[in-house]
Amino acid sequence: MKPRQRPDMNTHPFVQAWSRRWPERRLLWLSVLGIGIGFGMMLGSGYAEGRAFALTDPLPWTLYAGTLVVLHLTLVSVHFQGDQILIGALAFLAGFGLLAQVRLGTFDVANPLDPGLYLVPAGIVLMLLVAIGLSHGRYARLTEGHWLWVWAAGSLVLVAVVLLFGQRYRGAVYGVGLVTPTELLKVTVVVFLAGFIDRHAKRLANWGKGFPLPPMRHLWPLLLFCLGLSALLLTQRDLGMVVILSVALLVMLFFGTGRTAYLVLGGVLAALAGALLLTVFSHGQRRLAAWLDPFQDPTGNSWQILQGLSGMYSGGLWGEGFGAGNPEYTPIAQSDFIYAVIGEELGFVGAVLLVLVFLVLFGRGLTIADQTRQGFGRLLCLGLTTELATQTLLNLGGVTKSIPLTGVTLPFISHGGSSLMTSFVMLGLILAVSDGMPARRRTPKPPRPPSD
Amino acid sequence: MNVSLDIDPWSAARLALQAAFFLTLFLLVKQLFDLRDAARLKHLSRPKGAFRTPMTGLMALFGAVLLYQATWQLTGLYRPQFVAFMQSHDRREFNPAHWIQRGRLLDRRGEVLAESLEREGRVQRHYPDGPVFAPVVGYTHPRFGASGMEAVVSRQLDGGDPNSLKDLGELGRRILGGDKRPRGRDVVLTIDAELQRLAVERLGARRGAVVMLDPRDGAVRVLASVPAHDPNRIDAELFSGSDPATPLLNRATQGLYPPGSTFKIAVAALALERGFNGTLACPGDGFTTASHYRKIRDHEYYSARRTGHVWEGYGRLGLERALAVSSNVFFAQLGVLQGHDAFQELTERLGFNGQILLHQSTYGRFAMRTGHWPALAANDQYGLAQAAIGQGRLLVSPAYMALLTGALANQGVAVRPRLIATARPEVLARFMHPDVANRLAAMLRRVVTEGTARAIDIPELAIAGKTGTAENPQGDAHSWFVGFAPAERPALAVAVLVEHGGYGSATAAPIARDLLQRAHALGLMPSASKP
Repeated sequence: MKPRQRPDMNTHPFVQAWSRRWPERRLLWLSVLGIGIGFGMMLGSGYAEGRAFALTDPLPWTLYAGTLVVLHLTLVSVHFQGDQILIGALAFLAGFGLLAQVRLGTFDVANPLDPGLYLVPAGIVLMLLVAIGLSHGRYARLTEGHWLWVWAAGSLVLVAVVLLFGQRYRGAVYGVGLVTPTELLKVTVVVFLAGFIDRHAKRLANWGKGFPLPPMRHLWPLLLFCLGLSALLLTQRDLGMVVILSVALLVMLFFGTGRTAYLVLGGVLAALAGALLLTVFSHGQRRLAAWLDPFQDPTGNSWQILQGLSGMYSGGLWGEGFGAGNPEYTPIAQSDFIYAVIGEELGFVGAVLLVLVFLVLFGRGLTIADQTRQGFGRLLCLGLTTELATQTLLNLGGVTKSIPLTGVTLPFISHGGSSLMTSFVMLGLILAVSDGMPARRRTPKPPRPPSD
Repeated sequence: MNVSLDIDPWSAARLALQAAFFLTLFLLVKQLFDLRDAARLKHLSRPKGAFRTPMTGLMALFGAVLLYQATWQLTGLYRPQFVAFMQSHDRREFNPAHWIQRGRLLDRRGEVLAESLEREGRVQRHYPDGPVFAPVVGYTHPRFGASGMEAVVSRQLDGGDPNSLKDLGELGRRILGGDKRPRGRDVVLTIDAELQRLAVERLGARRGAVVMLDPRDGAVRVLASVPAHDPNRIDAELFSGSDPATPLLNRATQGLYPPGSTFKIAVAALALERGFNGTLACPGDGFTTASHYRKIRDHEYYSARRTGHVWEGYGRLGLERALAVSSNVFFAQLGVLQGHDAFQELTERLGFNGQILLHQSTYGRFAMRTGHWPALAANDQYGLAQAAIGQGRLLVSPAYMALLTGALANQGVAVRPRLIATARPEVLARFMHPDVANRLAAMLRRVVTEGTARAIDIPELAIAGKTGTAENPQGDAHSWFVGFAPAERPALAVAVLVEHGGYGSATAAPIARDLLQRAHALGLMPSASKP
């Protein structure tokens, strides 16, 4: 391992910051190298099949590498103290997503003006802006005063507007151009919930004695908000989002108040609601049937999942090699079913390694929450990590037929502009929290260090 | 690993690149763990480990998903429906499902009834004998699915159920080696290929069915149904149902026919159990239960009339003699004498109106129908008289008649018919009292030595049996023979049905004799002990 370089008082602050962020640098290098090899494999397969070499072929990778350089230099120059492992894991996942999208032909690589090519770089930049903009404890202002209610109202209005003006496609409602603005809920709702639970933590923890009933007097604004939002989302048939937000809510309530009762009550309610929803929604029943017995209707409802599983079976342990598979046989592989393509081309080993990177990401998110004493930041970090983990689990579970399909994307990997951007914003927030509070807030003794 | 010399440079480069990619990815994961210390968040508070439990839970959840994923991705071979789906609906050339060498179906002596042959990279199923074994083996087709034993033992044929340490080792080797040519396992059936071929050959152009089984352990030696479809050529036409020969119908197990006189053995068993020991008057011009019904008469009455004579009748007959001459007049009376309740109880004990499972798995079931018997109105004496001679509304399947005859030969105990050599014999039910079964067996031997089936008597085989000529509204009578041999210690029971074959003694009985003779030559049954 590289010897630790002690920051010297005489060296320039930039050099100090540069030497402090060497782990991040090493992880970024490895990511750039790995994704580069992946591009080599993919392009090689293309040429082996007789595709002509094009000058723009390495463009996505160059863009990606360039963005990472910018990211790293910016973080160093602003003396960002936030987590480095998180950035390493994210850099790999984002690059892997880009690679998979180029592989699936989502973008027109020959056309350097295709906006799709710039999605991942733009996302990384967005994340950087959020992280820096809210670093140094500035994220706490998100929930100051009435801002808390702005997030709540904004969330509801957002869903309502999409519901009013959106268009129906494959049973769900989308915004203009099949963008899904509701993805933003993952940020706004968690900001509201974290702020609310943090403010009322003591009162929400007071379940009273004797017959255990939740403190309804303090809980009702939260309940009202959740019911309203759920109703709106269910009208849109966005079951995946409801699950993601509900899990985040329960986890935040539990860790914010320390009351296990919330988990129990939430579990019971979720079971009841699930049973109720299944009787109401026909597409939910279809998905459940396709999950329980995919061979009942193999060429209809279960076609996509069985094709995905067939692809993974073809991949076996080591896979056919990146670029050598036939992901085109799995319908709409680039969004929900991208994991099946990874399983097909990189095999079980590739899938396990990818899951490990995801687990590192979630683990870091939880570590940051663990080390944050500021209530709002702690809950925010926990909520966002929970959402990312739930979403990943829902996607992987659905594609592998472990659970019924919910139609959620795989964070950072799946195609889908709004989902991708939201994931980057979420990570930016976690990074901002990991930057910590400025020293004066943590140690209130000297209100302002005298400048000399 | 098999390295061929004409490997193109890209294949080698691809392997190297993939290895490098995995290595880098592995290194990255390792660094992500290793650098945790170097990248500690020292400016934040000290960690409390508050989220250690949720993180463990998260890892367990993802681990579970990966494990489940492995059951499809690595051991998908053990999901026959999944393999079948891929074989018919997956167009990926490298999908191992297209390379599976499904196991063979073998007869009891190892003759191949169904095998997989490789042709241009795809594996095709081949049935060397065409339609001969189709009623047992069934077919398997990417589009039309599978039937018969091909469906029922699909799991074993595709290589599923590793049931020994060696199999598990083989599985591991296959997964690690990325073996794209999995091989299934062979399944040995109880069928005797030579006897089955003989049965089909002797049925010839007629429609009919032959079932032969070992009454002691239920092993089915012959399960023939003619005409049958050719499993090598399955097309949509076959399923349209337009062929009047109904080649998809398994006559042996699913066809229902009036049993005619062969059913008299069941009525005889009933009477014996209820203590019948006397004689009945059998007048020449027959018997009926009410004057407005047509009289039930013996065959001799009609042959006499044809030559302008009047037949005197048998006079008073005992049960043994009545069975030997197959007197309708006697059995119609005997049936009426036993009454509705006793007859109803008999059909229930014999398992009428049901199915008997020969073999079952999640991928299909091999079943046979027993018989059809709608309950009669309590005052319908004529219906009862008809049923007692195997006519009227009583119907049976050929496989069931073999089972019933086998039970009689096996001291009254019916053993579940089985098609898999390694399947355990299983007692199905006691059809009749052992004493009754033994007495009946002796009587059936007399049918062959001096009764209607005397033409097929071969002393060293000691065949016992009963002929049947079942009238039916569609034309000539169906020809039946049921029997077993050798009479004292039966080793084989047989039921032969030839649709519209005329007299049982003339058509069905000789087929049964030939089969038993060949079975004797093949060592499937001992010689009769010298009297």
